[in-house]
Order: sequence, then structure tokens, then C-alpha cells
Amino acid sequence: MTNETAPAYPGVSALVHKHLPKVPFTADKTLTDANITVEPAHLLELMQGLKERRELAFDYLRNMVGIDMQEEGLVCKYQLHSMKHRHSIQVTVHTPPGNPHIPSITGLYAAADWHEREAAEMLGLVFDGHPNLKNLLLDEDVRIHPLLKAHPLQKMEIAQGIEDRDPGFKF
Amino acid sequence: MTVWPEERLVTADDFNTVDMTINVGPQHPATHGVFRMVLTVDGEMVVDCEPYIGYLHRGLEKLTENHDYRQSMGWWDRTDYLAGMACEMAYCMAVEKLGQFEVPERAEYIRVMMVELSRILSHLMFFGAFGADVGSFGTSFIYAWRERERIYDFFEEVSGDRMFPTYFRPGGLQMDLPENYEDRVRWLLGSIRQGLEDFDGLLTGNEIFVERCRGLSPVTQEQAIDWGLSGACLRSTGLPYDIRKVEPYSIYDRLKFDIPVGKTGDIFDRFIVRMAEAWQSTKIIEQCLDQMPKGLVLNPDLPKTLRIESGECYVRTEGTKGEYGVYAMAKGGNKPYRMKLRSPSFCNLSALKQMVVGHYVADAIIILGSLDIVLGEVDK
Repeated sequence: MTNETAPAYPGVSALVHKHLPKVPFTADKTLTDANITVEPAHLLELMQGLKERRELAFDYLRNMVGIDMQEEGLVCKYQLHSMKHRHSIQVTVHTPPGNPHIPSITGLYAAADWHEREAAEMLGLVFDGHPNLKNLLLDEDVRIHPLLKAHPLQKMEIAQGIEDRDPGFKF
Repeated sequence: MTVWPEERLVTADDFNTVDMTINVGPQHPATHGVFRMVLTVDGEMVVDCEPYIGYLHRGLEKLTENHDYRQSMGWWDRTDYLAGMACEMAYCMAVEKLGQFEVPERAEYIRVMMVELSRILSHLMFFGAFGADVGSFGTSFIYAWRERERIYDFFEEVSGDRMFPTYFRPGGLQMDLPENYEDRVRWLLGSIRQGLEDFDGLLTGNEIFVERCRGLSPVTQEQAIDWGLSGACLRSTGLPYDIRKVEPYSIYDRLKFDIPVGKTGDIFDRFIVRMAEAWQSTKIIEQCLDQMPKGLVLNPDLPKTLRIESGECYVRTEGTKGEYGVYAMAKGGNKPYRMKLRSPSFCNLSALKQMVVGHYVADAIIILGSLDIVLGEVDK
């Protein structure tokens, strides 16, 4: 019989739950890392705890991914690593559809700067508090979000009339 | 005696300088590709630096989302185009992790051997280009080219292409090694060692080179971690962080090799760490040749079209420039739902501003060179 009041957290998420009991999150596992999911409102609190608690010490932001989950809105995932304890974790933030606002973590991790700029231009995520949210890989004045699933693959072909699908945006 | 009126006296205001903006790139030999940075200089000092990237953006991630798992191989080795094999390895590992596909043991050994050859190749290009940056114009480049072309001959033999081999497949390799290949790789190793000796003689012991690089732009361990540096730039600060040791993948846990680290994180350390790494790679290749079993190189149980139900993973490998990671997510079908490249050059380059501010313009070029960026990987 399972004890429902104390959910079993896989891997390092149990450690996070122990040291940051006030932050509400749900935990599961990917094929490579433990994964914890938080609301955008609790992201900064969680990240600060993850970085600054000595027992956790996630000081290295490896990677950040933005994903378009279509009806479920945009998702942002952070892969963190601790140089001291040699453990890794993935933090997932879901934004509601139509409201892609996430607090920026550039104040905690300097490495997040370009990652956030890339996710902002590619998917239309808005990182509140980012000092310089300009386009990075795309042209400065282009306002398209190519990694959205609604964005067609061959926009040039559509513009030239070779493909006849609706491009969904104006040039 | 002439009395100067009050307004003719020279005051501190007369020596005020005006900040000047210098545009470097995108077509510039010192930027190693199509990279542009706008330097604001006060005299010869850099006071601000604004990097502009994206000139080589090809929409790698969007393309991968819209193609079959096996079709995408062709553009993943065009990310880090100096070490195509290393990129293919990361991509294949991500697909294999998602689909839980097995890889035959012989294929793993050949993969590691090819990746380490790529690492030597990429580091040779760094020595060559970096030597040209600091002023050894031409000589170091020609030294690098000699061994590089020999290694490329070996790549061409197994795959038919020099720079973009497309030799790996999810589940193994395209084909087995040609006849007598292992023995000739041993001969190649002797040649590579001679080439590295030559570089040691040309650069490491060169007083002009050492004085130019030592103590320039030192990076502390805390800064390097905060900025997200990886690879030789991170290890030069004294932190032995190498994915091959920290989170061993493939067969790296069976091989004996050391992780060279620096002390101060300055430019000379970044150079010397790469030099030591190239020597370690020759040791790894030798062990691969000794231990390589016979057998298949491609998993025969895989279907023609790979279909993966669901799952997500973040696969990290030690690429030639640093942590080369692939985030992959599958939601059924023969295409990935999302694939994201964590490119080491991209993350190392994002710290450029912090590194060059406060240095001379001539040093800014060397600092950029010491990061060893490949623009194909930065721009995706």
C-alpha cells in the first residue's frame, strides 16, 4: 500500500524538496535527468534556492530550451548542474496559452542572457526583467517566431507562390 | 613676458577624448567566420563590446523537427564543421537515448576513435588560427594544415567526405572500416605526434608568443561557471570538468586518460590545455585500437523508419569546443517534436563582452581567438 501523503521524488528532486519545502513543485523524470515543474510565479524563488543553498549548489546553467506545446502553451526548460556535488536537474516552467511571460533569471545566472534572447525571438516568450531582449540570431527588425509549430517550414517558397499554404504572418 | 588670458590656459577639458566605434566583421579574417562585433574604444582601450551573430543561421532546429530521424544527420555535422564526427555522435546518442536503441560494441569503439581524431583536428586548427592571430602569420597555419589533411584523408576513406562525413547512424555506423585501416591509423598517430611536437616547438616555447598570451584576460573559476563557459575555457581555470569523466558516456569509462587543467584561466592556459588534450586524445585512440572487438557496426534489429513513441532527454557529450548537448523530445511519429542544440561556442561567445572590456583592441582579437569559436555552431 502506498503512502499518498509523502510522494516519492525521483533522484535529486527529493533533495530539493527537503531543502526547499516552501516552493510548490511536482517532480518526475526524463530519460536522463530528474525534472521538477513549477509555476512561473515561483520560478525565481526556486532558482535562487537551487543556486544558493549549499546542499544543492546548482551553480552552472548548462542549457535552456523553449518548446511550443501548441494548446498547452509555451514551455521553458532549464538544465542545471552543480559543479560541487556533480548532480543535475531539469526545471520546467509552463506558461498559459496567450500569456508567455516568464521572469528572467539573468540576475542569477549570467549565462542565461543569450539563451533567453534566443528563446524570445524563436518562440515569442517574454522574459520579464531581461536587460536587453533584442533579436539575437534573426535580423533585428524581424518579428517572426520560427520555432512555433504554426510557422511553416518554407516561408520563402510561400512568398514566391511555390507553396500555397497560408504563411500565417505578413512580411 | 606674455601673459596668457584666462581662457587660453590649458585645462583638463582640452585632453578629453571622444569614444570611437569600430566595427569588426562580419567579413574579417580575425573573426574566424561571419561574426561581427562593434567595439567602442577610448583611445586603444575597449570600453564596450556588442557582438552580433546569426549570419550563418540555417534553422537547424526547425529543419530537424520537420525531417525523419535519419535525414537530419546531414546538417548536424554542419554545426561544428571542424569536427563533424563529434556532432554526429551527439545527435545519434540523443536519438538512441530517446528510442532506447542498442549500439554494437565495435561501433562504439570506432565512434570514439573518430571523435578523438576530430578533437585533434579541431585543436590543430585552433593552434593554426590562433598562431596567425598573435602574429605567427602563415607558419602555424601551414603546420596545422599538414596533419589536418592527413586526418581528413582517413575520414574520406571511411565515409567519402572530408569535412561532413555523415558516417554515423542512429544505432551504429554507416559501414565498417576499410581493410588494413587500424594499422594505418597507428601510422597516422605517429604523424600526429610529430605535428604536435612541431607546434610545441613553434609556439609553446616561443618567448614572443608566451609573453603575448600569459596573464592576458584571466578568468576566475566562479566567473567561468557563472558565464556558462565549458571545454578548455572552463578547464583552464583549474576545474577538471570534462563530460567524458564527470558523466561518462559511450565507452569512455573503459579508457585511461587524464583531464589537463590550467591554473589562472588566462589565454596561455587555454592554449596549453588544448595542447595537452590533443596528446591525451592520441592515447585514447591507441587504446581504442588495442581494445577494438570484431563484430557488427550497425544494429540489425532497427526498422527502416525509426519511430519513437515519447520521451525527452538532454544528452551531453564533450565536444571539441566544450559541452555539446542535445535536448530532444519525441511525441510519436518519425520526427522529433523538438530538438535543441546546446552549442559550446554559443555559450563561450556569450561571455565575450565581459572578457574584452578593459583590454586593448589588439588583445580583443586574441581573446576572441582563444575562445576557439566555430560560427556554424554559434549560429545553428
